[in-house]
Amino acid sequence: MERVVTVVPEDGLHARPAAKFVETAGTYDATVTVKPADGDRSAVAADSMLAVTGLGVKGGDDVVLTAEGSDAEAALDALEAILSKAVTE
Amino acid sequence: MSRTLNGIGATPRRGVGAAVWVDRTDGAVDSDGTPREEKAPESPEAALDRFEAARDAGVTELEAESERTAERVGESEAEVFDAHKQFLLDPTIEASVEEAIDTGKSAEAAVRAAFAEPIAQFEEMDGMMAERADDLRDVRDRLLRLLSGATRADLSTLPSGTVVLADRLTPSDTVQLDPEVIAGVVTARGGRTSHAAIIARSLGIPAVVGVGEALFEIDDGVTLAVDGTAGTVLVDPDDEAIEAYSENTAAAAIDDAVETADGTPIEVAANLGSSAAAAAAIDAGADGVGLFRTEFLFLDREEPPSEDEQYEAYHEVCAAFEDRCASSGGHVIVRTADIGGDKPIDYLDLDSVENGFLGARGIRLSLEEHAGLFKTQIRALCRVAAEAVGEHLAVMFPLVSTVEELDAAIDLVDAAVAELNAEGIDAAAPELGVMIETPASVMLADAFADRVDFLSIGTNDLTQYVLAAQRDLDRMDSYHDPLAPAVLRAIDQTVQASGDAWVGMCGEMAGDPALTALLVGLGIDELSMSAVTIPDVKRAVRDIDRTEAEALAADVLACETRGDVRSAIGLE
Repeated sequence: MERVVTVVPEDGLHARPAAKFVETAGTYDATVTVKPADGDRSAVAADSMLAVTGLGVKGGDDVVLTAEGSDAEAALDALEAILSKAVTE
Repeated sequence: MSRTLNGIGATPRRGVGAAVWVDRTDGAVDSDGTPREEKAPESPEAALDRFEAARDAGVTELEAESERTAERVGESEAEVFDAHKQFLLDPTIEASVEEAIDTGKSAEAAVRAAFAEPIAQFEEMDGMMAERADDLRDVRDRLLRLLSGATRADLSTLPSGTVVLADRLTPSDTVQLDPEVIAGVVTARGGRTSHAAIIARSLGIPAVVGVGEALFEIDDGVTLAVDGTAGTVLVDPDDEAIEAYSENTAAAAIDDAVETADGTPIEVAANLGSSAAAAAAIDAGADGVGLFRTEFLFLDREEPPSEDEQYEAYHEVCAAFEDRCASSGGHVIVRTADIGGDKPIDYLDLDSVENGFLGARGIRLSLEEHAGLFKTQIRALCRVAAEAVGEHLAVMFPLVSTVEELDAAIDLVDAAVAELNAEGIDAAAPELGVMIETPASVMLADAFADRVDFLSIGTNDLTQYVLAAQRDLDRMDSYHDPLAPAVLRAIDQTVQASGDAWVGMCGEMAGDPALTALLVGLGIDELSMSAVTIPDVKRAVRDIDRTEAEALAADVLACETRGDVRSAIGLE
């Protein structure tokens, strides 16, 4: 299961948005990966703060999310919601 | 015999007290993370158990620190702890630690090895990414401390009058410091904009950072006088210095308007980043608001704020200051959205270069692609101006560099009033002003002054643009000095050209009590600053003899080097 999402938070995938994203990815059984839509970076584990911040994704960039597992769709929904909000709660 | 250590002033306050070292990694790890002594061998199972226990304890600590920071400092300052928690729980790190332990390494050696590569990788990247290396070091050092079994140095129970010394303070250390008892903070490393420096500043704790190796020669118990304005630390100060430094720490607020010893009134106002900050500024004795930054209304959301929402925010701050402004004659100066530069806003789709410091930012965006946003803001402001609470409201425009821009902005204000009145809504044009931030605005100050009621010198940007030295580049730090002769002459030129308009100042420089006499001597009528420095500046104003201050300004303007300026002011 794959989905392309635009990263809305201005800081991109750094600091708080990244922490929230990684924490949420870790709560699902599904194996989730993320990579920038542009360029040829390979996908990384969405539950790794190191890997996710290491992508250097900026606000306004598109990312490709993939999920494999029983709750894959729910995981993608939750992660898309985080990336689509300027403020994470 | 007293001597002086030089660093970077992080909180413009002074304090004196006894040195206490709190650096937890002191002696255990070199700055590059190399162990000075290896742990005794242990079984891989034991090492893994210790690692997991340390990690779990780290998570518990970080959650508590995040909560405490959110409560005492702010939600955004607490974010760093959430990020640290995710780094601590990172599966990649866990896997590397387990692998290293399997090859027979101690838990400590495994943690160092697991962090070494990611730290090096982040260090090679630019800007924000490089800061992640600092975060990783903090997380690694936390694990190492927990592994060593040491209980965390509890900085919240240090005795009154302590000057905290550290190689580098983490945000978690800093937030534990109680501003009521801690006389100062001095670190060997770290910059003015490090997390720790920012938190120390918001707590109002005198702080000097980046003192360097010399700090390690100071032993526990030595008396230190910390000057967070000059960025200096006096070791073993004499009684006179101790008295001078002690006075400043407990500066009581002066609620009344102040004037110089010979009767020139000087408005001392607060820079506010949100309406919520108004109460603290009033407590600190602010006569008004010299800079109400409106960007907070536009940040951290998905679409721009409505006219009504903005009206509420401006109304709230005017109402909070209504009585104070009435008694002090102060103003509530709202700066229209200063977007771009280092303040990007996601839903506006700004570019870091196109809308950077030399790109379309401030009034340029307001008159062009974001004219709609500007018009909404102006309408909200004109509505408040028509009300009783709006009597002291003033509005200023950021980054104006041509007369055409200013004329266009003034026309938009007039048009908004006419439009609102036509809709049957009460509206009035507030007092108007221009920020003096660019060399162009200094050169055109006379033309601006003919058109508006006041000029407000933004020294942070003025310094950046006069010296062509970008604010957020570490490399340019030494250039970014408002005491550079070129900047001081630009300030003087502005005052000389100001005619009937009054002149305010709202950069960091305005909040430095050591410079108050100079600024009054240069002819500045209003000084606006972080609330924390208001009592000190009000006190400084009362000591000023106008004639002496003008002579000082003349001496300083004749200086050709920064060194001469500093000696003329008596800073060194």
